[in-house]
Amino acid sequence: MIKQKSKPSTIEELELAALKIRENLLMLCSKESIHIGGDLSSADFMTVLWQYQMKYDPTNPKAEDRDRFVLSKGHASVVTSFNQAAIGCFSAEAVISEYATDTGRFSMHSCNLVNPYVEVSTGSLGHGMPVACGMAYALHLKKNNSNRIYTVMGDGEQSEGSIWEAAANAAHYQLGNLVAILDNNGLESDGRIDQITGLGNIAEKYKVFGWYVIEIDGNNIAQIKDAFDSLPAVDSKQPVIIICHTIKGKGVDFMENQVRWHAGKITPEQRDSAINKLENEYVAKWGIQI
Amino acid sequence: MISKSDKYQEQVYLRDIIGGYMAELGSINDKTVVVNADLMGTCRTKSFYDKYPERTVNVGIAEADMVSFSAGLAHEGYMPFAFTMAPFMSMRACEQCRDDVAYGNLNVRLIATYAGLSGGISGATHWSMEDCAIMNSIGGMTVLEPSDPYEALSLMRSMIDYVGPIYMRSSIIPVKVLYNSDTEFQIGKAVVVRKGNDGAFICSGVVVQYALKAADKICNKYGKEIRVIDFHTIKPLDTNAVINAATTGNVIVAQDHSVVGGLGYKVAEVIASNRITTNFKILGSPDKFIPMAHAEYLYHEFEYDAEGLEKNMMLMLQK
Repeated sequence: MIKQKSKPSTIEELELAALKIRENLLMLCSKESIHIGGDLSSADFMTVLWQYQMKYDPTNPKAEDRDRFVLSKGHASVVTSFNQAAIGCFSAEAVISEYATDTGRFSMHSCNLVNPYVEVSTGSLGHGMPVACGMAYALHLKKNNSNRIYTVMGDGEQSEGSIWEAAANAAHYQLGNLVAILDNNGLESDGRIDQITGLGNIAEKYKVFGWYVIEIDGNNIAQIKDAFDSLPAVDSKQPVIIICHTIKGKGVDFMENQVRWHAGKITPEQRDSAINKLENEYVAKWGIQI
Repeated sequence: MISKSDKYQEQVYLRDIIGGYMAELGSINDKTVVVNADLMGTCRTKSFYDKYPERTVNVGIAEADMVSFSAGLAHEGYMPFAFTMAPFMSMRACEQCRDDVAYGNLNVRLIATYAGLSGGISGATHWSMEDCAIMNSIGGMTVLEPSDPYEALSLMRSMIDYVGPIYMRSSIIPVKVLYNSDTEFQIGKAVVVRKGNDGAFICSGVVVQYALKAADKICNKYGKEIRVIDFHTIKPLDTNAVINAATTGNVIVAQDHSVVGGLGYKVAEVIASNRITTNFKILGSPDKFIPMAHAEYLYHEFEYDAEGLEKNMMLMLQK
């Protein structure tokens, strides 16, 4: 496997970091059934967020001057864990060996009773974002103008009414330190969202709620990095949403845009061939010898 | 602080006391935040807002959001007091109380008015016959129901140093002042308000005053001494107080709550688990929906007003 730099910052390095995340996901997915579709759609922005953007010291996860992360899209727990592993919270091997074991720290959803790097235990949808709003308000009370609260939401989750209760109060309380990231992959458990209860123009919805809206290709590392680099100031007055248009199952041919790969397990052969393809694409693009 | 002189009239409204006291708690602890859902008036928290506007949040009519927002504040070291009516806190925001507050064992104080049928003519949507049953079943949730203003204030003061989530319900029916201003109450410790060994009323909230009246009448008419125990803490339950009460052989548990899942079930569990043989009855609202009416009418109908408690205890004593 390709070696990774400890602190990726260029597009080339971040793409390699995202490749490593996908490799870990596929390794685990050949061992256990995971929410692989949503893990893969969010892998790119999760990589840039955790390995490039966030101010976070893995040796001090309760530091007052850290950026906070709340996983509202609770099913994306393991892509979070692999990114936390990449910055040194624990090893990726630990994530794979402990995942879904009875005494492990990692499972289908994130739990802060066993994992101190989880700020808020989540799973049920429509919870993380509203909790993140309370945390963002708390930072205002503390006069903390340098740290942000990041929360990652799913597009299926946008059907939860509690999201819109929170969207209204985040704008009312001018929570400019709140950055929501929407994994807009178009699919949910039962099928295509626009064939179930469509979201309409989600960007316009957040705009009329008073949010600062950024729309990008959420599987394009350069666009993701650019979105983070050009965020409004922490002390600005509008909550921010980065709408990431993504592909569920991104990077694995037979999973892309397939409802059936919301969750599942793959064979070792499928894993090896998927990893090979990803590595070959990376090598072809960047001309680097593995 | 409340002066030692008898500040309160014969009857007071607990929501005035509880909401009004927030302004004082706000000065005792600068981490306190009041989170409202458009019921600042109903819950009487305006004096806190006047004093601490920056530590006051009003999310609008969005109880689920109120509880999640409070959880976020607690994650950052604040002590939010979220205020709304008991049915909305325990049912509209039930999953938020469970997932966002209790799962993280957060210091959120869920302060609910309109307990039981006290909402009267507002009808079933504004009653909470189920809130204690729900909150009792949420892991690590402490469940309180004061009967008197001094008890309410003491419990609220205790909340400042208490670790973990608390749900406190109170009635909008006026209550009598039962205690002296300097009485101290301890979360988890029931109070024997009236001594007696011929039987026991185990009760909480607004029913305590009715039980005292019933016990006095029984004493005057029949010479029987009935113990009245105020269980201001529904969970964790004071099991010793239950076991002692059960030795009288005649136990009536009465709460302004469904007969299902409230204080009655908690007491029954202790009695059964300890293999105690005693007469036993639970009084409360029935296991069905009923049309709107004044609370006093309903308490009479379901026999947990003073008259009903007296009647039921006398029937039990004559067994």
